[in-house]
Amino acid sequence: MTMLLDLALVAWLLALAIHVARARDDQGAIIAFIAFGLLLGLGWTRLSAIDVAMTEAAIGGGVTGMLLLRAEARLRQRSSQPQTPKRTTKAAAAIACTVVAAGLALAVLSFPSPAPTLAPAAAAALDSTGLGNPVTAVLLAYRALDTLLEKVVLLLALLGVWSLAPDQLWGGAPELRQTVAPPPFVYLGRILPPFGVLIAVYMCWVGADAPGGTFQAGTVLAAMWLLIMLASLRPAPETRRTTLRLLLVGGPVLFFAVGFLGFAVADGFLSYPEGAAKPIIVGIEAALTVSIALTLGLLVAGPSSRAPAP
Amino acid sequence: MADLFTGAALFILTVTALGLFKVLRSEIAVERMMAVQLLGTGGAAAVLLLGAATSSPAMTDVALLLMLLAAVSCAAFTSGQSSHTADASEQAEDEA
Repeated sequence: MTMLLDLALVAWLLALAIHVARARDDQGAIIAFIAFGLLLGLGWTRLSAIDVAMTEAAIGGGVTGMLLLRAEARLRQRSSQPQTPKRTTKAAAAIACTVVAAGLALAVLSFPSPAPTLAPAAAAALDSTGLGNPVTAVLLAYRALDTLLEKVVLLLALLGVWSLAPDQLWGGAPELRQTVAPPPFVYLGRILPPFGVLIAVYMCWVGADAPGGTFQAGTVLAAMWLLIMLASLRPAPETRRTTLRLLLVGGPVLFFAVGFLGFAVADGFLSYPEGAAKPIIVGIEAALTVSIALTLGLLVAGPSSRAPAP
Repeated sequence: MADLFTGAALFILTVTALGLFKVLRSEIAVERMMAVQLLGTGGAAAVLLLGAATSSPAMTDVALLLMLLAAVSCAAFTSGQSSHTADASEQAEDEA
């Protein structure tokens, strides 16, 4: 029965992927892509990668979809005629995708069996961190440097988006909605965020001992914030505000500070003192969640489109 | 019992997938967006059942996220759509 379920899931994922590639209009393709993200989340749960499933559902189903839909709406406003790519462009894209997919497939199939794994070592050292979730232990203890640099990359991406703003609008607020929000949307914007914030806090807290963590929590918070801004319940903040910028860099800065503190109180950069690893990790996660939520929200909101108030 | 749950999940996924492809092929954009909502509901049900079948409580959290984000992406879709329909209604008024 399980085998049948997995085969069916793979078949539907493939069918949906082909549908995305073949969709004639951009909006249809984006919608199918969001559905693909949600279904892929289901696929990851079948591989017992529940942390990955949550991230895939949150990023693939939530924030990326929002980003693409907004980009498509903006493109549609700008040009009246839809542009269809040339045959050669399509062929080149198809060949590039096929090569990448074939390469990945070859790499996966050429793994030795059993595949080399560090999982037993990761599980064995879990006690020294005081955490219960091995994925969080890898992300914030064993390979904390990767996670730290990843958060810096997110900030760089936001800088890239902000720098698209014209000079006279620099520091102003991005605009998410030109028209008046329809009443059902405003209602949803009032009802859903309290639940979303609760779920995000839960995700962040539970991440230490069970699947979940900062990224999922941050994404959910970002989605809720975007919902409020899209419903025109609260305006988007001016990007020059000092509190906003402090909160944006707060997570990575705290992470760096803890990292350098490691030289003084433990064995070196990013090593935690014996016995105090868990509270430190939970603290870093909380600060990172706020930073990630703001970064993702502002990434979707786009560059500032209003001049800063004098 | 686990087999029963897995079978139920398979059934729900099959029905959802059939509905999904029917709705995704629709000419009307709003109907296609409902496909995402359909997958949010059907996917959450399947994840809950599979979680019960494999007795892993964390699957419940995945279902929670699926539901929440399907609703959010539907909302995001309407935000791109409302300006479009507003333009269309203005055009209709101009023509009248």
